[in-house]
Amino acid sequence: MRDRLLALAEAARREISGASELPAVEALRVRYLGKKGELSGVLGGMGKLPPDERRALGEVANSVKAELEKLLAEATQRAEDAALEAQLQGPGLDVTLPGRGVLPGSRHPVSRTMEDIVRTFSRLGFDVASGPEIELDYFNFEALNLPKDHPARDMQDTFYVEESSLGHAKKSDSSVLLRTHTSPVQVRYMLQRKPPIRAVMPGRVYRRDSDITHTPMFHQVEGLLVDKDVTFAELKGSLDAFVKAFFGSDTRTRFRPSFFPFTEPSAEVDISCTSCGGKGCRVCKQTGWLEVLGSGMVHPNVFTSAGYDPGEVTGYAFGMGVERIAMLRYRIDDLRMMFENDARFLEQF
Amino acid sequence: MKISVKWLGDYVALPPSVDELARKLTAAGLEIEGMERPAEGLRGVVVAHIKESVQHPNADKLSVTQVDIGGTALLQVVCGAKNYKVGDKVPLATVGTKLPNGVEIKQAALRGVDSFGMLCSSKELGLSEESSGLLILPADLKPGTPIAEALGLDDVVLEVNVTPNRPDALSHLGVAREVGVVTGAALKPPEPKPAESGTPAAERVKVRVEDPVRCPRYVARVVENVTIKPSPQWMQDRLKACGVRAINNVVDVTNYVNLEYGQPLHAFDLDKLAGGELVVRTAARGEKMTTLDGKARTLDVDDLLICDQKSPQAIAGVMGGGDSEVSEKTTRLVLESANFLGSSVRRSAKRHALHTEASHRFERGADLDAVVPAIDRAAQLIAELSGGTVAPGRVDVYPAPKPPRKVTLRFARVEKVLGVAVAEAEVRRILAALGFVKVEEGAGQATYEVPRARVDVEREEDLLEEVARVFGYDNIPAKLPRGLASLAPEPAHAEAERRLRHALAGAGMDEVVNYSFVAPKSLEVLGGKEQPVALLNPLSVEQSVMRTSLLPGLLENLSRSVRHQVESVSLYETGRAYFRDAEGGQGTRPAAREVSRVAGLMWGRRGGGRSWTQKDARADFFDLKGAVEAVLGALRVEGLTWAPGGPAAYHPKASAELTGADGTVLGHVGEVHPRVVKALGLPEGVFVFEVDTEPLYAAARLVPAYHPLPKFPAVLRDLAVVVPLELANDAVRKVILEVGGALVEDALVFDVYTGKPIPEGKKNLAYALRYRSPERTLTDVEVSEAHQRIVDEVNRRLGAALRA
Repeated sequence: MRDRLLALAEAARREISGASELPAVEALRVRYLGKKGELSGVLGGMGKLPPDERRALGEVANSVKAELEKLLAEATQRAEDAALEAQLQGPGLDVTLPGRGVLPGSRHPVSRTMEDIVRTFSRLGFDVASGPEIELDYFNFEALNLPKDHPARDMQDTFYVEESSLGHAKKSDSSVLLRTHTSPVQVRYMLQRKPPIRAVMPGRVYRRDSDITHTPMFHQVEGLLVDKDVTFAELKGSLDAFVKAFFGSDTRTRFRPSFFPFTEPSAEVDISCTSCGGKGCRVCKQTGWLEVLGSGMVHPNVFTSAGYDPGEVTGYAFGMGVERIAMLRYRIDDLRMMFENDARFLEQF
Repeated sequence: MKISVKWLGDYVALPPSVDELARKLTAAGLEIEGMERPAEGLRGVVVAHIKESVQHPNADKLSVTQVDIGGTALLQVVCGAKNYKVGDKVPLATVGTKLPNGVEIKQAALRGVDSFGMLCSSKELGLSEESSGLLILPADLKPGTPIAEALGLDDVVLEVNVTPNRPDALSHLGVAREVGVVTGAALKPPEPKPAESGTPAAERVKVRVEDPVRCPRYVARVVENVTIKPSPQWMQDRLKACGVRAINNVVDVTNYVNLEYGQPLHAFDLDKLAGGELVVRTAARGEKMTTLDGKARTLDVDDLLICDQKSPQAIAGVMGGGDSEVSEKTTRLVLESANFLGSSVRRSAKRHALHTEASHRFERGADLDAVVPAIDRAAQLIAELSGGTVAPGRVDVYPAPKPPRKVTLRFARVEKVLGVAVAEAEVRRILAALGFVKVEEGAGQATYEVPRARVDVEREEDLLEEVARVFGYDNIPAKLPRGLASLAPEPAHAEAERRLRHALAGAGMDEVVNYSFVAPKSLEVLGGKEQPVALLNPLSVEQSVMRTSLLPGLLENLSRSVRHQVESVSLYETGRAYFRDAEGGQGTRPAAREVSRVAGLMWGRRGGGRSWTQKDARADFFDLKGAVEAVLGALRVEGLTWAPGGPAAYHPKASAELTGADGTVLGHVGEVHPRVVKALGLPEGVFVFEVDTEPLYAAARLVPAYHPLPKFPAVLRDLAVVVPLELANDAVRKVILEVGGALVEDALVFDVYTGKPIPEGKKNLAYALRYRSPERTLTDVEVSEAHQRIVDEVNRRLGAALRA
């Protein structure tokens, strides 16, 4: 019996060392160590042996079993390693194939620019407000110190609304138009609350003008700050701070006297050219400056329209064209691209 | 307004360089938008006197000339032109000159003969479009004189952007006054004193003003014995520089004086005025006249007229009439210098679409004080240039002389408003230089009489503006904005809108911005019944009504992309739709109802184009619904329901209505109706959504409350049922959740299957149910019992068969 055991061990050693794949190793385990395996077969007759023989044989059997288990474990490890190695040697992924999923959509340059302008002013504590686009002549013009027959109305070619299409029960005493600027929101906003006030008003505006540098609809961001003792110096400081925050800290501002009916004194604000830094180039028509903002101290008549006492408060207002700023920012040279919404244009932003 | 720098120099000493002049005027509020320097391109071109000309030895068509340009020796120049003779004066572009057409003149040998420059035609000098041969110059020019000077082109013309509040600067004298203010130089205005003789003007012409409100002052002068001929070159040059065409010595003077004083003038042929009388009156409705431009005009009560005893001779302040126009035969003139009410002129000019030099000035407000000097100046100039005699006296109708306005300035206000201390003496200097006359002194304040040219100055702020602009905006410091007293919370919809944009971008949608006005047809094709708000004066019918939906714009965008072979279109827009509002326009209520919306469109290949992962799948209803759900998820809006159906523009079997928790319809998602797609010439398979944003933003939970994590494990079981095709997932799910009660946490549909072995007209729906109790770990038995109950109920209520 002992000989059979040793012969079995010898045969098993040989076969296990020759087994290189997992199924073969597993088959050997079953064959030798399984419940009905050869080891069990050999040991099956052990019960008939005398006790000391049985003990001695038992020791041999245990050591054979332990040895075979160890060898099988090693063989398993070897086979697994070999299998993994073989797998790792196989063909890899084509990692140059594109990833799965949808690329994010783009933001329209005007809308993104407008949001960024608003966000910059919100850092200066400006609230955000909006108002109607179909507006009464009163809020768009008269309340802003632009009475009827005022030549300054020529500065803004106006779309008027067919009154009969408004469905109003009775004709309102003020004609209805598409707002030509965001400034009427100033008046509406002031009518709703008491000073101090600090707000920006972004939105769509409309002028009856369409050529290479004008579209009949465009966007503005209007700003208004009203408090006691607000000065022109603060207007300069605020807009200078905005320009530096928005266009970069190297950007310089230049304030030029101008005219807007709703502010006095009024100022056009130029910034040093964002393209050449002020040396003069095609973008700034060699002047080194770009006109980007209109501004001024709120006209007393506007305060009166809003129910404020011009003797009590002063304030400043400003406005800017979003398309113009977006064009500078993204170096877009054709305004009309903005509203054509060509896929090849949109995907660039 | 074009301003000739040479002309300006007649009235005030100018800074040494034109650039400095431009800078100073711009800084003071007269923006110089552009400059024309015609002399620039003519540098190096001089007057040459042809002394000799011989045939070129080697070329039939060329000549060899010797010209004198004022130097010690003659220059040899080869020339191809034939239209000159020896002794003529012609322009010579000397070596090194760069001509306006880009040609650079080099010393060259032409067919073996040296040539030191080029004799030029007017075309080569950029002075005319066409020319034949050399430009022959006046014989009296001195050889060597720069051509710009010789031709009166050595002027610089400033393009001044005069804002509507500054009609005082619509003249050379007005701009000269500004120059004086910013440089400190004294103003030297002309002092016209026409020599008068003959019969007094009052005996030659009568003036009657019937509407003194619209014509506060009317002054006439008479000039007799005039000879109509061209005006002298210097005057023509100046008019040309300012963009005014020369006509004859009388009309040119009226234009010249207008450009000088900013006071529009008109000259009538006295012999053509019936009854020798001028009547200023309101037109009768339907009255007719022919204006100087040859157009027949039908007049209205808005028009103020200058008439003779028979008929209208001019629309006051706008344009004269053809009947009494100055012609070659004219010998006796009536000159008009008047002041008309701005709003009246403006209405006339608008109605007749006649924007003239005169109406431009009257609309903005002409200077009452310029009426008399301007007419005197014109009379004097006409007498000088036409040999005429000025009749003694003016006929002056000025029934209610207007006293100048008075405005008081409190000196302390300067610092209070500008934020910088300007010395009181400087403030006084500035105002005095601008022509404000101090009439009263008070404690810390002074009262000024406003020059009548300054129609814009009415109140203290106007004086502050004058001080600020002359003091210089650059000299006012920039102060940082003051600190905040309180910080208002950001409006919730601002954050909500940001999230909406992120969600849609995440769904791969590109943002567009479309016009708010559309073609009525583009709304009609969508089957909208709503009457849109219409524009009275649209640019075109394509942009004539305010959109009641954002879809027309998106469909147009799709159409454009399809034309450009784009394979996949995925767009969205946020913006307003506009609706009539019966109560609109009352008080501060907006005139129309403006509804904020978001709309989107998908068409073509799913996920942006062909891709190996998508196997050319096409975007469908669920792609777009997914985008809307992404928005709802980003806003954490809950309790919304989807039901089949949509407005007329949507496919009746492939669209859904989104309803808010309170039952209001928020919007729709769906396929565009096949008929609409066909009508618009679009490809099939277009999906759109349009949703009102305000209720979404209001329902958004931007700051969600935390729920503790479940303490006990979940048990997952799948459930598959075969139900009639038209039975909605929601109906099945509702039963599952209702029967499952507290034990079923969620039931997620994970498969929808039709086809074998499922019988025709049926579909298989598979759900993943998640069982969980917040109180304990569920046993297998509990779950199995609950699951069986659900199966039975689904079968019983929906006639479903549990799939084997």
